[in-house]
Amino acid sequence: MKTPISGFYRNPVKFRMPTAENLVPIRLDIEIEGQRYKDAFTWNPSDPDSEVVVFAKRTVKDLKLPPAFVTQIAQSIQSQLLEFRSYEGQDMYAGEKIVPIKLDLRVNHTLVKDQFLWDLNNFESDPEEFARIFCKDMGIEDPEVGPAIAFAIREQLYEIAIQSVVSARESRMSKKGRRGAEYTPISKGGAVAVDLVKLFGPKSSVVRKRKEWDVYEPIVDLLSNEEVDALEAKEERNFR
Amino acid sequence: MEVTKDPNSNPGRFEGSDSELELYTIPSSSRWFAWDEIHETERGAFKEFFDASSISRTPKIYKEYRDFIINKYREEPSRRLTFTEVRKSLVGDVTFLHKAFLFLENWGLINYGAPGADVEKEEEEELCNVRLEEGTPNGIRVAATPNSLKPMLLPRVAKSGGNASGASLKLPPLASYSDIYGDLIRQKDGKCRFCDAKCSSGHYRCTQDNFIICANCFKSGNYGEKRSAEDFVLSESSENSGKHDTVWTEGEILLLLESVLKHGDDWELVAQSIQTKTKLDCISKLIELPFGELMFGRTHRNVNINGANGIVNNAKQVQSSSSDNQEISKSKDQPPELTNENEQNGDSVKESPSKRHRVAPLSDSSSSLMNQVGLISNVVDPHITAAAADAAVSALCDENLCPREIFDFEEDSARALEGEGLEMERSSLSEIPLPLRVRAATATALGAAAARAKLLADQEVREIEHLVATIIEAQIDKLLHKVKHFDDLELLMEKEHAEMENLKDSILTERIDVLRRTFRSGTTRWKDYSFVKS
Repeated sequence: MKTPISGFYRNPVKFRMPTAENLVPIRLDIEIEGQRYKDAFTWNPSDPDSEVVVFAKRTVKDLKLPPAFVTQIAQSIQSQLLEFRSYEGQDMYAGEKIVPIKLDLRVNHTLVKDQFLWDLNNFESDPEEFARIFCKDMGIEDPEVGPAIAFAIREQLYEIAIQSVVSARESRMSKKGRRGAEYTPISKGGAVAVDLVKLFGPKSSVVRKRKEWDVYEPIVDLLSNEEVDALEAKEERNFR
Repeated sequence: MEVTKDPNSNPGRFEGSDSELELYTIPSSSRWFAWDEIHETERGAFKEFFDASSISRTPKIYKEYRDFIINKYREEPSRRLTFTEVRKSLVGDVTFLHKAFLFLENWGLINYGAPGADVEKEEEEELCNVRLEEGTPNGIRVAATPNSLKPMLLPRVAKSGGNASGASLKLPPLASYSDIYGDLIRQKDGKCRFCDAKCSSGHYRCTQDNFIICANCFKSGNYGEKRSAEDFVLSESSENSGKHDTVWTEGEILLLLESVLKHGDDWELVAQSIQTKTKLDCISKLIELPFGELMFGRTHRNVNINGANGIVNNAKQVQSSSSDNQEISKSKDQPPELTNENEQNGDSVKESPSKRHRVAPLSDSSSSLMNQVGLISNVVDPHITAAAADAAVSALCDENLCPREIFDFEEDSARALEGEGLEMERSSLSEIPLPLRVRAATATALGAAAARAKLLADQEVREIEHLVATIIEAQIDKLLHKVKHFDDLELLMEKEHAEMENLKDSILTERIDVLRRTFRSGTTRWKDYSFVKS
């Protein structure tokens, strides 16, 4: 019982962020002479590269960091942008692909846990808008939470996009090598696309069973100062 | 303000049942919305769901999303529903889910007038352009839990007509309803078995069963308080008469009828002669009795055609509920054809509960013939009733040579019956002789019942077709499985065969080896042969 798939979905999609805006998640974690700078933001890959240096200088100046950071920041951004561009123009995936996105993050005092499904073919999707509604519905007041959620979604989408480029390439090569043999590379990591026929087939209901509601329910916790300190100390230990 | 009836609602609903239906306020611009279909507006907004381009985007899935979101909101209309609440219960792309959610919210199908909205409008403005819609979607479609079927049928048989039609329309296809109370009720097993999985309609049967327990059941629910309260009252009023001191024995009924004949409408005297009952009880019982109203007419106007007979018949009717039509028609000296038809009618009325449980209330002993006519004619479309009445009248004219003019009144009254109710009819009919009236009404009812039966039969046929299709599908499935099994078997056989061949080969070589060795050791030939032979 397969519904026919029209041309749009059969055509492979060229690599890009599977969202409305093609913004690349950039994560910075730089330590120089005991000073550590951590940051996460999105970057438009079609912006001119000169912007990167301008941005780095500006950041260093605003945060009053030592000047040695400027080159480090610029290099880090640049290399991450290069990695993104290296995938551009390649086929990403063909057909429908819906992946589960899991959130488990802490921003200052707020702890967020959630999971939901994301359609990689829906180029109307907007992680930032999603995060904004999430914060509004859950009554989160900390303005840093929204961007952090959006960034976490983008990071996962980015990773899935890279994986699918790799697996698309592998499957092409394996087809050349072993003609006729059916071989589908198992993608690494947890982000395996959901079984569409099982979830959306004519026999199943898209309304989840009552007992599953809790699994997909977003959890937001506000931590006390002590808990935050303990967590930060733990993270610090893990880092070293 | 505009109040429109849900297209699904039964035209035969009585006034009393209106209070049972839930009313939801939606903007008049969203009038296109209907539970059982998808409107062009929706098709336009979600094109990708209707071009069959994807397995996760089909009209069915869209409808499930939409129905769930709206139902979820209506569980507690005073509270604002948020997207984050909805998405945890739905499988699907969150981006699309949000789009659908926004769509419904923009059209006011959810969160309309709910507090906390950033689109808070002025009260007056809302009042002038809202319409009330009955929250009665396309019947009962949720029957997922296996034991929910029985409790759903019970209340309808027991209730009077108007309520039953309300009940059948009451249940929206709420997956959330059935799920929410599934666990809760299972804990209370044994106590509250009537309101099994679906508490949204549970209150009917609860009151029948034991309302105290089920009141708890409702209290624990966080929605529908108001509704349950209403139903509680309704059910109680209909049940009290049967439950408490007002149980009438047959002897009491006979006594009542006799004393009414004797004393007329002097209820003090009537009550005195019965003794065990109050004045009020007597009045209400007489009204409840079949043909109670007609007896009123007789005692008032003294148009006593065959009074004593009629009353004896009435007493009989109390015992034999579904055959009352027959009794009456015989006593009125009907031509044989009509009596036969009447018998069929009685049969069809008797059979109908097992069919669809929708006509079941018609055989209720507490309703008079006129009531039944009204009911039967109300379950079908007005024009069908009109046609039936027309046919009945002309048939009667043919066999009785009655002046047609008498029935001109009647035709009017038939229409009045469709529109206004029974009171109108009775008043306008007062000039026509009673037997004619009764026969015309009976024939009308027959026609209407026949039309209704046709509808039911059609429905049954559709259902059977559907079931057959399901069976065929299952059979095909079975066959496929068998074929697969045989394939597996064949594979096994082949393997075994190959193994056997190998074994054969190895035995052969072994034998050759043995032979060679015997040759070398110089054993005589004949011994070899004997070895082979043995």
